[in-house]
Amino acid sequence: MVGYLARRLLSALGILLLISLFTYVIFFLLSPDPAVLICGKTCTPDRIDQIRGTLGLDQPFWVQFWDFLRGFFVGRTYGDGASAVSCPAPCLGFSFQTNRSVTEMIETRLPVSATVALGAAVLWLLAGVGAGLLSAVKQGTWWDRGAMMFALGGISLPNYFVALILQYVLVVQMQILPFPSAVPFGEDPVRWFQSYLMPWLVLAFGYAAVYARLVRANVLDTLGENFLRTARAKGLSGRLILRRHALRPSLTPVVTMFGMDFAGLLGGALITETVFGLNGVGKLAADSIAKNDQPVIMGVTLLAAFFVVIGNVIVDITYTFLDPRVRIATR
Amino acid sequence: MTAPAPLLEVKNLTITFPTPGGTVTVVDDLSFAIRDNATLGVVGESGSGKSMTSLAVMGLLPPGGRATGSVLLDGEELLGRSERELRRIRGERVGMVFQDPLSSLNPYYTVGLQIEEAYRAHRGGSRRAARAVVVEALERVRITDPARRADHYPHQFSGGMRQRIMIAMALCLEPRVLIADEPTTALDVTVQAQILDLLRDLQAQTGMAMLFITHDLAVVSQVAQEVLVMRNGSMVEHGSAEQIFSRPREAYTRVLLDAVPRIDDPFGDLRRVSA
Repeated sequence: MVGYLARRLLSALGILLLISLFTYVIFFLLSPDPAVLICGKTCTPDRIDQIRGTLGLDQPFWVQFWDFLRGFFVGRTYGDGASAVSCPAPCLGFSFQTNRSVTEMIETRLPVSATVALGAAVLWLLAGVGAGLLSAVKQGTWWDRGAMMFALGGISLPNYFVALILQYVLVVQMQILPFPSAVPFGEDPVRWFQSYLMPWLVLAFGYAAVYARLVRANVLDTLGENFLRTARAKGLSGRLILRRHALRPSLTPVVTMFGMDFAGLLGGALITETVFGLNGVGKLAADSIAKNDQPVIMGVTLLAAFFVVIGNVIVDITYTFLDPRVRIATR
Repeated sequence: MTAPAPLLEVKNLTITFPTPGGTVTVVDDLSFAIRDNATLGVVGESGSGKSMTSLAVMGLLPPGGRATGSVLLDGEELLGRSERELRRIRGERVGMVFQDPLSSLNPYYTVGLQIEEAYRAHRGGSRRAARAVVVEALERVRITDPARRADHYPHQFSGGMRQRIMIAMALCLEPRVLIADEPTTALDVTVQAQILDLLRDLQAQTGMAMLFITHDLAVVSQVAQEVLVMRNGSMVEHGSAEQIFSRPREAYTRVLLDAVPRIDDPFGDLRRVSA
């Protein structure tokens, strides 16, 4: 188990290194000269050279990439002498637009995205798994049809559309909720809840739809398994058969999907955050892309990749506990 | 002196399924009886209705299936019983073993737990008390080191071992009737012989009645005293094993007998006489 864990973490690290290399290559090769961007309109060639020197842009690609990696792990200093700016680890550079540290920007935004992801996850797990189970157990009834119609809506209606409708109805027309803004929980818990409720609902709707369909299909598959016939032939009660023999095989694949989806959301819900104007990592990504703010795009991309890769490792480890066939194989 | 009443008696059993094209009859007016300590072999091709017959006895027909006629267990009618009443009979008074032991066991739970839950569903009691029953049941089907093996998962056993576990599970409550639906079909020939041996020994120990369903005449010749041949849901021929194998009355039975590879056929000599 320990060897397995070490192997998985090592390969995760390798993947992250590769992703950072690719991202760096893309920004290095495809972007306009950052020095020109930073310098602004009233700019002299001397000034551009100076900026290039400070950021290390006059160095070859590999040196720049190495500096970037080193900066992340041990920190780095831009420029020298009196104008030197230190960037402690994990250093992701400074925004070309605001000159703020990218690490800091992400740190302030991450709690917002985490709150959005966590609340939505709770809602969609409850709604999705619940609706899926209900549909499967009451297959062919109006319960089933109703739940599946709802799921179809969740899958086919785009996030931003649902968000705008919800906002129009709840905020503008009925005036039940205030316009969302990222209020910290400690400041005003009621306002906090009101602000996050819509983003949670919108995200959860889309995910719950997918989960409901997955759970329904899995349960129906499992109900057709031979071992369920065995359980009936043993004289077990219907409830025990469902709870013990049908549920566990049906819900195990949900763990995989949940791990991936949740990890993806931690890296920012780009559309939902933007529509609701929540200052999360997703909105940061959208804004920095619009302004071609390379260090920020780079930082946000790496953050998202980090969550997905780590989420993957956690899912795999969880699986070894959930499925005995996997468990024995890894030992 | 009259013969003892049969333990399991099926009279005029008819099973139908509704389909969009109308009602389909999969078993038509089937009757048979099995006494204590006896084995009835039901033989037929796939689709002949033999498995549906066994499921009907357990009240486990797939959704939509309807059984009419009579299924008497120890003189008690089983058809038309409520699910709750049938549940008390399944496992406790009629045990069942299925064809594919790997898919018939839940891969997520240890075999010990799967035997234990069968026992506790009927007798209750603590897990600790059930544990002794589990170990004993595994021992009876000749699994070595049963106390340790009970904590293993189905995929850690060979095919033959898995079928032993299925048998242990079906017999842990000592039912008077065992229905074995193609119990050796998924196994290779040597393992098949061991499982048949085991079933015969267990029957000798407990005196249970056995309904043995198979498509394989060579197998049925090794376990059954009585044989019923089915085709398309109806009985073709019913008689003692000796009679069916040596003097089949029906042409279809003869076709089935000719389909058996000679090297496996212990009745090779007799068949030549009849030919």
